[in-house]
Amino acid sequence: MINLRIMLPEGEQKFREYIHNLKIDPSTPRPDLNNMPFSKEFSPLIPIDETGQFNSKLEFAEYLQNCFDQAGLRREEVLPRNGLWTWLAYIWFDQLAPITNPATAERVIKEDAKYICSSDYRDYYRHLVSGPYSIYSLHGAENSRIFLYSRVNEHNDFIEQFASRQFIISHKNIVEAIYRLYFDSKKRQPKEGAQTRTRPGNIRRFVRVIQQFELTYDIYTMSADSILDLLPPEFDEWKNRRAQVQ
Amino acid sequence: MKRRLNYTGRKKIEREIVFISFKRQNGKVTDFAVNKLDINNLNLPSNAKVYVEAYYRTELKRFDFGTAGSISNPSPCDLRDMAYPENLKFRILAVDPMDDKLLAHADRISPEEPAKKKPILPVEFSDLGNEIWRVKYEGDEGSPILVINSKIPNIQNIAKQDAQFLIYVYPHVIREVLTYMVFVDEVDSTTEPSTNWHGDWLNFIKHFGVQIPETLDKEDKENFNEEEALKWINDSVRAFCNSYSNKFEECIRKTEEEHHD
Repeated sequence: MINLRIMLPEGEQKFREYIHNLKIDPSTPRPDLNNMPFSKEFSPLIPIDETGQFNSKLEFAEYLQNCFDQAGLRREEVLPRNGLWTWLAYIWFDQLAPITNPATAERVIKEDAKYICSSDYRDYYRHLVSGPYSIYSLHGAENSRIFLYSRVNEHNDFIEQFASRQFIISHKNIVEAIYRLYFDSKKRQPKEGAQTRTRPGNIRRFVRVIQQFELTYDIYTMSADSILDLLPPEFDEWKNRRAQVQ
Repeated sequence: MKRRLNYTGRKKIEREIVFISFKRQNGKVTDFAVNKLDINNLNLPSNAKVYVEAYYRTELKRFDFGTAGSISNPSPCDLRDMAYPENLKFRILAVDPMDDKLLAHADRISPEEPAKKKPILPVEFSDLGNEIWRVKYEGDEGSPILVINSKIPNIQNIAKQDAQFLIYVYPHVIREVLTYMVFVDEVDSTTEPSTNWHGDWLNFIKHFGVQIPETLDKEDKENFNEEEALKWINDSVRAFCNSYSNKFEECIRKTEEEHHD
């Protein structure tokens, strides 16, 4: 166990350099950033299991939620702390960018925003630690599954299409409708074909339709059922598949 | 997102008739007040429900402001449970209570903070290697920030006061920002763009008396004219330079003096 820390600008710079160097030389040793001036201890003290293994984003987010709950910290107190999320990505980096070739220690390294928590409005939801927590802490364990079913190092299309859109991700009723429409609760993963651009009623079409509803109806007051009822016939197949599963 | 479609006759709540301000304690935002919300001229049914929503990223909080016929300002409009109170934007909705359809709407309203006027081009100083300046689009909603190389001695004073710097750098910065805005970021409306910084820059250019084309929206295939957009950018840069002709003359004079010395 290690106490939660906040990454400071010097630490963020070193972490960024480490990520970039790994792309050139996969054997680059990880710098020790668990001390000043690279990071500082978070207050109150929160023990974090840096060796913890998580099978999905959901498990990951659930673990963090429990840590913060036990410390009596609310969502709004931890979310804006970019350094906290960057430090968590640093200590769990081996899970977030796992070695894909043990012989050469090669990893798939994605863009910085996946590991270094950014204030940029175009990137913030892509962070592999704060993104799942932000969704889980708002939408709860069940409805979050549609976004958090995948591995901790994978960024999926549901996050990209829905979490990037403020209007959608901030409405609990729309997220519940998305979950009920596209999540296969038996297989515990999204329904096949939901992301296929050519399929009627696919997730991109859902975004388009909700964008029209946004300027037509007072969505906020509607139940998930009412939203589903408003959807045009191209979504019927997904609704029917929902009924079959239930 | 393009927001031109209006199949339901939804009315626009103009920004001029709304005034929202933050309240602070020890410098931190705690709540907000709607100091002005004058929707009488929209002729909405008096029983239309009026709501104000504060939002940013995953967060959304709604406040009930009564009806169009009797607006009530709930107090306090508490924002202490919001993660990013400083960044909040506001949305105002008037809703038909019979069918929950929107009757009027305004979005992306920023609170007025008269004491802190926001510059349209914040300046940062950092090590840019061998580059003198660069524009990065990492401000609010991807707005531009001018980054100037901190390795240049006395650069903070030069950037503020030096005539040569102003006439050499700023016209190119303006050209770069306008080109990015039109051809990369895409301006969805010249009258009410959905991105705030586009509106700020369009107003800045209007201030120089340059006529804005009917559309700058690349996706509006029928009306968008690339040549016209490029001409607008050139005219804007020229108008900016003309407004600083005294700096140009000062620069010429200095160069001549140095030449004679």
